[in-house]
Amino acid sequence: MSVARRPAGGARAALPARAKVDLSVRVGPLRLKNPVVAASGTFGYGTEFLPYLKLADLGGFVTKGLSMRPRRGNAPYRTCETAAGMLNAIGLANVGVEAFIAEKLPALRGHDTVVIANVFGETLDEYVAVARRLNGAAGVHALELNLSCPNTEKGGLAFGVSPPVIREVVGAVRRAAPDLPLIVKLTPNITDIAEAARAAREGGADIASLVNTFLGMAIDLRTRRPVLDNVVGGLSGPAIKPLALAMVHRVHREGGLPIIGMGGISGPEDALEFMLAGSSAVQVGTANFYDPTAGVRIVEGIEAWCRKEGVSRVADLTGTLRLPPGRGAASTSA
Amino acid sequence: MPVDLPAPIVRHERLNPEHFLLTLEAPAIARVAKPGQFVMLQTRDGFDPLLRRPMSVARVLPGRRRIEILYKVVGRGTRYLSAQPAGACLRTLGPLGNGFRPPAKGRRPVLVAGGVGIAIFPFLADDLRRRRLRPRLLFGARRKADLVGLEFFRSRRVPIAVATEDGSAGTHGFVTRLLEPLTRPGAEPAELYVCGPTPMLRAVGALAVQAGIHCQLALESPMPCGIGVCLGCVVACTPDAQGPIYRRVCTEGPVFDAGAVVL
Repeated sequence: MSVARRPAGGARAALPARAKVDLSVRVGPLRLKNPVVAASGTFGYGTEFLPYLKLADLGGFVTKGLSMRPRRGNAPYRTCETAAGMLNAIGLANVGVEAFIAEKLPALRGHDTVVIANVFGETLDEYVAVARRLNGAAGVHALELNLSCPNTEKGGLAFGVSPPVIREVVGAVRRAAPDLPLIVKLTPNITDIAEAARAAREGGADIASLVNTFLGMAIDLRTRRPVLDNVVGGLSGPAIKPLALAMVHRVHREGGLPIIGMGGISGPEDALEFMLAGSSAVQVGTANFYDPTAGVRIVEGIEAWCRKEGVSRVADLTGTLRLPPGRGAASTSA
Repeated sequence: MPVDLPAPIVRHERLNPEHFLLTLEAPAIARVAKPGQFVMLQTRDGFDPLLRRPMSVARVLPGRRRIEILYKVVGRGTRYLSAQPAGACLRTLGPLGNGFRPPAKGRRPVLVAGGVGIAIFPFLADDLRRRRLRPRLLFGARRKADLVGLEFFRSRRVPIAVATEDGSAGTHGFVTRLLEPLTRPGAEPAELYVCGPTPMLRAVGALAVQAGIHCQLALESPMPCGIGVCLGCVVACTPDAQGPIYRRVCTEGPVFDAGAVVL
């Protein structure tokens, strides 16, 4: 078409085809070369993806959740496909922090990307011990706390559902790992996620990542049994994207912490929507399962969109959602 | 090293109302695939279904540019797949998994198929014959119509014994009945290669372990990623002092020794 028009969303015309889009972002103390990070539990320990992409092409990746000792995880079945999504109840299987440092981390040095170690524990002390061990480990650039683990000292309730507990765990980890940017991953299985974000900030977190998976269940009608051996699991994939977007929007409106948004991101448009809603960077999770090149495909798509829309710095998009007049505070509840 | 590529459908043949034979142009996979390996196959665009499906490589065609996949329509994914026309392009990731080991010296390879588990064996049969080993096929299915692919084995003069649960062809009963002669004293030493539904793997595996026959089981499992990262497809293996051990069907399998897994 030769009709001159204003781009649908932006005020500027497309950038010249060869113009460089600045994809780098700052998320609190963390600097990423682009806003796309592979999510914990969907990217192994990184090297599994070397046949399919260059780690250096991602903004970073988050390791499988690490505990003090190795964990073998739940009995099968552990996963189940659902409408536009999937359930998982892996049971936090991982090699343990010592094996991670000795066997996995050395293979990651020399890949120019940000390595974020995901940390969990069944007790406050375990969180602290894992974080302390990672604090001095060469090649770990940040920590992400998984607060969805059941607290065995408090009747198995997840750490992340209680704001006072969030504050306590985050504070203790902050002191145990003073040198690393601290990301707190929030569970959506809570009445008010903004309250959880506030507690994380008060505990000393630098960044909030949200959302983790939603509690879900699948039933096999033929056998009249739950599909997952664990009965319930975490729902992820495109099915949860609108839920996650609303939560990112809510936490962003509250202010306080920079956000890494996630939940069902499968393409560049999804990632950009999360940035408009207030994310400084995004994580891509389940998409890595059905497309191992998802992360780089999304980076390329973001760059192409920015060029088309005349956006020269992707970081400028964060929180630029255009709300209808008078829809400020009210836009976080239906 | 596995690759992820868009594979054009060269041919898509309906063998009977439920079974299909798919031919994909996938040179980078065909060149390096080994018998017993699989691919993660996209069944159609979009989010329904979300995940790819693991499919055995049924055969690598001469020239090593094309692979065949034999499948049965069992659910949404395979139903969508069955509607894909020749010319369509499906993302195909592979080859994945460990594949079968050649038989131990002096052992006669015996392929034991249950239903659509036959899909893994044409490739293995060709490979064994190239090594001048003479495979036999024991094929069990629910009924005669489920005995697909027999022509392939006949054309290669692979001796075949058949069992059906309803007695519509061959021996009346389960495939394990065909195995009984192998367990008798003085029987020719065998290396069993087994693929089929879990109850059948369990039965054949138990029989082999009891009789001391080498037995490789090719397992199937719900498999989100195929590359070892989601940890979703695990199978329980012989426990140690600390309890159950889980191994990934996608990367530590799909082929396991019968004595190593708890099905």
